[in-house]
Amino acid sequence: MKNNILFSCILGILLSSISLNAQSLLDKLEKEFPKTKQYEIATFKTTRIAIGHSIETRNKGALEISMFNRYWNIPNFDGQRFLADKVSTRFALEYALTDRFTFGGGYTNFDKIKDGFFKYRLIRQVSNSKKAPVSVTLFQGISHRNEEEGLAPYPGAETVGNYAFTTQVLIARKFNPKFSAQISPTYIGRNAAVASNDPSNQFAIGFSGRHKIGGHASIVSEYYYVANPVKSIDTYNAFVVGVNWELSHLMLQFHVTNARNFVEDTFITRTTNNFNFEDGNFHFGFNATFVLHTKKKKLN
Amino acid sequence: MNKIFTFLFLMTFIADFDSKSSQFIANQGQVSFFSYTPVENIEAKNNQVLSLLDISNSEIAISMLMRAFVFKKALMYEHFNESYIESDIHPKANFDGKIIDFDPSLKEPQTRIVKGTLTIHGISKEMDIKATIESKNDAYMISGDFDVVVKDFDIKIPPILASNIAKTINVMFKFEYKPYEE
Repeated sequence: MKNNILFSCILGILLSSISLNAQSLLDKLEKEFPKTKQYEIATFKTTRIAIGHSIETRNKGALEISMFNRYWNIPNFDGQRFLADKVSTRFALEYALTDRFTFGGGYTNFDKIKDGFFKYRLIRQVSNSKKAPVSVTLFQGISHRNEEEGLAPYPGAETVGNYAFTTQVLIARKFNPKFSAQISPTYIGRNAAVASNDPSNQFAIGFSGRHKIGGHASIVSEYYYVANPVKSIDTYNAFVVGVNWELSHLMLQFHVTNARNFVEDTFITRTTNNFNFEDGNFHFGFNATFVLHTKKKKLN
Repeated sequence: MNKIFTFLFLMTFIADFDSKSSQFIANQGQVSFFSYTPVENIEAKNNQVLSLLDISNSEIAISMLMRAFVFKKALMYEHFNESYIESDIHPKANFDGKIIDFDPSLKEPQTRIVKGTLTIHGISKEMDIKATIESKNDAYMISGDFDVVVKDFDIKIPPILASNIAKTINVMFKFEYKPYEE
């Protein structure tokens, strides 16, 4: 009996050693790969999904030069302007100080808003692991508008009151190579000088998704729900659907939306149009972003 | 009866030893590739390529993670993995083949043809690759280069970007082997 057990033991060892030897070299190599953490890349291809920020930041040394355009028509307009009656453009620069930290700023020529922001990648999603199932990026933005232009949302307020602050916690997950989704809880705060009984602190949440329709193109959509909208004017929640297309170092984004402004605090809480295809409500957006690598990695 | 056991036991060890001595591993093999076009040059290097060499039957296997390639520009890395190689779906590139007329005992460098299957982007293709094999103190070094036709591996390049990526990519490799222990 004892001998039988011993015998089967040895037979087992023998068999296992034979099966090991019979293994193909490739199968053996499979086990030799070191187990290293692998972060998901390209949850979104661009630092903006469509109108709002994505969790993505560029790698160290990358400078993003971007021009965002929005076109729309004036309702019952008598003039004959080319393509669209109105156009708003935001010029912006973004620079990645490290792989995780990016700052930038821009200027919009229609509403005369200057904005600045920084983004920090707090958590990066790890592939095939339960440790970090999502990526988290913190966003902090500040914007300032000139009252004299007559476009300030708070007429009569002191100049110092025309600052707005946006804080976002961007949470995204790449579910599979094609589909990624993001939830963006947002807090928007303004200085005390706010018209009538409008809230000076506003809360919103954004829902965004992208679906790749090829190696280089994807369909994106975003919706921002505002929990406590302003009372002095009628506002609607911002909605956008669009196509992102990347051409080497150039990212092109096309979208249709009801949002007219570019800076977070304005389009999230102060979109005064509903989403439909009527003149004045229908906005066509076109963003072009060029990525310039100021630092190149050395190979070896 | 006990003698038979000891004999069998010894046999298993001998069998193990036998397999060990004939196999060599390269843990930090280098594979780099180049794409030269008038528009831009793309260059990438992978220093973590694994390879096993069995001198008893001249078999060779190579495996690498596509994500381990390092590019000069971060965007190139992203595009390579996301849009061209699709490393989410096909994380590895493999080669499995035999060195023709390989003589492990030869001291001077020998140039031989390696016949095998190259798998990139989930597509396998038979390849004949010329390689130089050097042996130094019971260790081996294999190096060489070859061309890969992008089209052969079903890697889609949109027509608008066709001028940025070469039709054939030059691949260089260098492996230093040491005895393999499991």
